[in-house]
Order: sequence, then structure tokens, then C-alpha cells
Amino acid sequence: MAEIIEPFEFKQCISILKSTGKKAKNLRELRDVIEAVSDECIFHHTYQYFIKGHVLEYTNDFAHWAGESLEERALSEHLSNIDPYDFKNINNLRNELLGVIDEYLKRFPEPREAMPGDEFCFNETMTLIFPVGIRAKNLAEFLTAIKYVETGSVYYHFYEARIRLGSGIDDFSRWIEDAFGKRELVELIRAIDPFMHSLEGIREHITEAVEEEVRKDMEVIDRCLTSI
Amino acid sequence: MFNQYLGISPKSDLLLLQMLAARLHNRTFLHINSTREGGGVAEILQRMTPVLTELGIDARWEVIEGDSKFFDITKKIHNALQGTSEEITDTMWQYHFEINSKNAEKLNLEADAVLIHDPQPAPLIAFKKTGLWMWRCHIDVSNPQKEVCDYLMQYCEKYDATIFSVAKFAKAMAIDEFIVSPSIDPVSDKNRELTDEEITETLSKFQIPTDRPIVLQVSRFDRFKDPIGVIKAFRIVNKYNDCTLILAGSPATDDPEGEIVLNEVKEYAANDPDIYILLLPTFSDKDINALQRIATIILQKSLKEGFGLTVSESMWKGKPVIGGATGGIPLQIIHGVTGFLVHSVEGAAFRIRQLLNNPEMAKKIGENAREHVRKNFLITRQVRDYLSIWYTLENKGKSILEL
Repeated sequence: MAEIIEPFEFKQCISILKSTGKKAKNLRELRDVIEAVSDECIFHHTYQYFIKGHVLEYTNDFAHWAGESLEERALSEHLSNIDPYDFKNINNLRNELLGVIDEYLKRFPEPREAMPGDEFCFNETMTLIFPVGIRAKNLAEFLTAIKYVETGSVYYHFYEARIRLGSGIDDFSRWIEDAFGKRELVELIRAIDPFMHSLEGIREHITEAVEEEVRKDMEVIDRCLTSI
Repeated sequence: MFNQYLGISPKSDLLLLQMLAARLHNRTFLHINSTREGGGVAEILQRMTPVLTELGIDARWEVIEGDSKFFDITKKIHNALQGTSEEITDTMWQYHFEINSKNAEKLNLEADAVLIHDPQPAPLIAFKKTGLWMWRCHIDVSNPQKEVCDYLMQYCEKYDATIFSVAKFAKAMAIDEFIVSPSIDPVSDKNRELTDEEITETLSKFQIPTDRPIVLQVSRFDRFKDPIGVIKAFRIVNKYNDCTLILAGSPATDDPEGEIVLNEVKEYAANDPDIYILLLPTFSDKDINALQRIATIILQKSLKEGFGLTVSESMWKGKPVIGGATGGIPLQIIHGVTGFLVHSVEGAAFRIRQLLNNPEMAKKIGENAREHVRKNFLITRQVRDYLSIWYTLENKGKSILEL
């Protein structure tokens, strides 16, 4: 009897922004609030930056603010270089952020203030996860689906999954590994650097890798038919 | 109503709306504001209430009544919250409360969720009977007159949650403060697709030539919208590129400065045949829509702005928008991706020239702009957010909910 393959269920998440009411108008205040805010707040300003799916100038809200509002370019480069997925928990990430800011403050103790109205606002989110009504039973169906699902779904399975399951692994490659054991494809997907692409870019890379795999599978069938 | 948004709004928003509505089926959702027509809040409520009903939610929209004395006071409160200096005496606050008290006697305030819009009906919280009560602030309270804001906050803190349009408007409060951006309605007269005949009608009405690129700004004649700055930028551009400027706006009857600014603008334009100054009647949605659709580039060169929904309206028409980096404009324009943010007349002039000389870039930015609005600033997303907040408040304590 053929082994039953668990279909891949595409889900998506949306986040409703919640204000903590805390603001920072300069780097020292930013530092002090980062030290005190909730894990959810740090999570939102770092991991969830990627859901915005746009500019790759920065990789988190703190770097964005340091670059655009304080015009501290070197600091924003340091902060952008922090990969949240390198950390096992939020507190370690928080400490890294603080370390980078403290180091910068030692070298440049009087950074400028943000313009009034351009303060950093500390937010959190409420997240709602829901199925989008698409299931893939095999790689060909998966290929069709990944081309058409919304980028919010790509975010949920490619970025959010790394934290949700605590293993730093995306849902797509996990399913392909569990269901088909295709190691080469799994490695290709895991090699896609989340830092270096927009959500559309991530989709393109996954599509390309899966398409190549599906094509190879079809060619095997072709060769079988030719040999007959 | 709901079906009108199929194929326009993101599928996931419509799906989530239906899922949330199924969980809140037959529950009562009461909205209260202070006017049945006129203004963005009434516009949204007119659209949203039937959509909610169609989704199976028992939605009601009530309007508080008051005399001119009441509305004079609330206008002053509104201005003070936006930073204008106003004196609100204890007697005035008392009258504000009394009128709300009279309304509370007449209105049925029983509902599972109650959304109170803006400061006018805020004191109704004192008459809460059941359900979750949320206060929705639609105005820019980033720099309010402190004592007026503090007084109002005494009411707001009695609610279960508040909702602001922009994160920087939120205050340090002991209750949940959600951020929900305003939105545009893609099927309204101001934003729906127009036929060629409808566009031609507007063009001939205002005798606008289309043989040259058109640069447009739609806004009230208000110094904060910097109409003079727009003309200055246009004059720099016109040395290099032959084009037409349209400044279109409605007379603001409640703004005595409007006419003064309009005259300043006319004087500054000095009968330049390349500059069209259009004073549109108050309800000119279709004409504004047509002007935005025939424009090559749209400006919103504000120096101070609340949210600036005209930016989203223009972006929705696939136009490259150049906006002042102020208020809610940077939330809509991602610099270089969905438009350009500028800080000066020269900056605006440079970006106009850049776009006029790079039609491919203008096209790409326009496409990105429309998609950005589709994902973030359509009314369906706003309704989705209201239902999500209601649902999350009922599941208090959880920051992640799976449907």
C-alpha cells in the first residue's frame, strides 16, 4: 500500500499593531526602552520587519530609524547586520542590540535627536493565523500553489515558521523533507538567505528550485517511456 | 456589497473577514459617531455597516444629536487635539457630558461590541451597559493641547481599548491601544474605474489640454498643503520639461483662511497659462477621480499632514506620487519604491523631472503604488482589523490566535 503523504496546507498570518505607548527621541532613550520592553515588542521590530517585504536597505526597525531619522548611518549598518535568526531566544537578541548601541555610544557619545514627530514608537502585534484554503498533495501542486499564494503566506511559512517551531527551519523544506525525502531540494531551499531577498524574491527562488525538481522527475518518466 | 470587493481586495482579507464573521455570527456591533454624512468617518460607516450585515453580523450605526452650542464645543476640542490653542472651560466640558447623557437615554447602547468614533460621543462610556467598548480616534493627536487631551483621556481610559490611525498618535495608557490605518473605498465614485466618456466629460468641463504631461495636486487651499511650493517646483521643472500643472481643491467652508490662501495662490500663479487652478464644489468625487486618472505625476507636497489619504487615492490609480515626508505620508510612500518622499521645493522639482524623463520608472512606481494600497489601505482591510480587534479582545491574554 502506498504511503500516505500529509498534504501541505498553506496558511497565512496577519498582524494587528498595538502600541506600547513608549517612544524614544534619541539613541539613549532607544537603548533604555529596548532594555525594558516586552519580548513581543522586540520580536515585532526585528523578526516581523520582513513581512513588510520591501526595501532591503535595513533589516529591522531599529536600524531603519537609526538610518532615516537619526541619520547615524554607521550605527544603522551595525544594527542591520544583526540576524535575528542567529539567536535562540529574544533576550539574547535584545542583548546583542544593546551591545551594538552601547558600543556606538562609547565612540559617539552625543548622537543627534530625531525631529519632533519622528520619534521611535515601540509597538507589539496581535497575530491571527488562518488557512487560505489551498492544499498541495505533491510537488506539482505545491509548485502551482507557491506561485499564486499571497506573499503573507510566504512570510508565514518561510520566516515565521523558523521561530514558531524553534528550529530555525522553514515549513516548505520541512514538508518536502518529511513527505518526499528530497535532500537536494531541501538543501537548496534552506540555502536561500532570508536576509537577502524580498518576499517576492523568496517566492521566485523557491519556485525555481521546485520547478527544476519537478522537471527532473518528469524527465525520469520520459526516459522510462523512451526505453520502452 | 461584499461581492463588489471580489477581485479587487486581497483574497486573504476577504477570507479572514468571512472567518471572523462566522465566529462573531449574529453578534451585535454598534458604531456611534456624530454625523450621518460628510467627512471620512461617515463615508466609511456608510460602506462598512452593510458589509458587516451581509457577513452575518448584527451591525448598527447610531448618530448622537446635539445643538450648535454642543458642536461649537466639540469643534474646539477637535482643534485643540490637533494642536490649536483653544480654551475649553469646565462648563463646556459639563455641557459636552450633558448632551451625551441625553443621547444615552435615547440610544440603545446594548451590544456585544461598541465602537465610539472620535471625541464628540466619547463620554458615552459612562453609560456602558454590556459588551466591549472601543474608542476610535480618527484625528491627528500627535501634538495636542495637553490639558484638553488629558481631560478627554479620562473618558478614554474607561474603554476596553482605543484605536489610533498612526502609532505616533498613541498615548501612554493603561489599556490596549491598537493601530489601524484609515482606508479608501475602491468602489466609491472617488476611486472606481471610470469610462473614457466620464474622463472626457471632466476634461472638457475644465478645458484641460492633454497634449502635454500633467502634474496634479488635489488638496484644500491650505498653507500646510504648500500650494505655493508646488508652483515653485513646477516653475523649476517647466524650464526643462513642457508640462501642465493642475491645483484642484474644494473651498473649505469651515476654514476662513481658505479664501485668503486661494487668492495668494492665484496671485502667485499670475495667470500662467500652464497652471490650472480649479475650485471644485464640495461633492466632486468623480471629477477628482478623473483628474487623478489623467495626471502623469501627482503631488501631495504637504508640510504637515494627518494621514493624507489623497496619497492612497492617487496611488490606487497607479500614479507615481511625490509626497512631503510628514504625517502619515511616509506610511503610504516607500521612498523610491511606491513613490518619492521630499523635504523641499527643489526635491519635489527634481523628482518630477526624474519621473517625466523616465516613463518606465514612473510606470513601475505606479504599479508598486497600486499594489501597496491594495494590500494595506483598502476598506476591507480596515473592516478586517476592526473584527480582528474585537475577536482578540474576547480572547484576552493571547498574542497569537489561530482560526
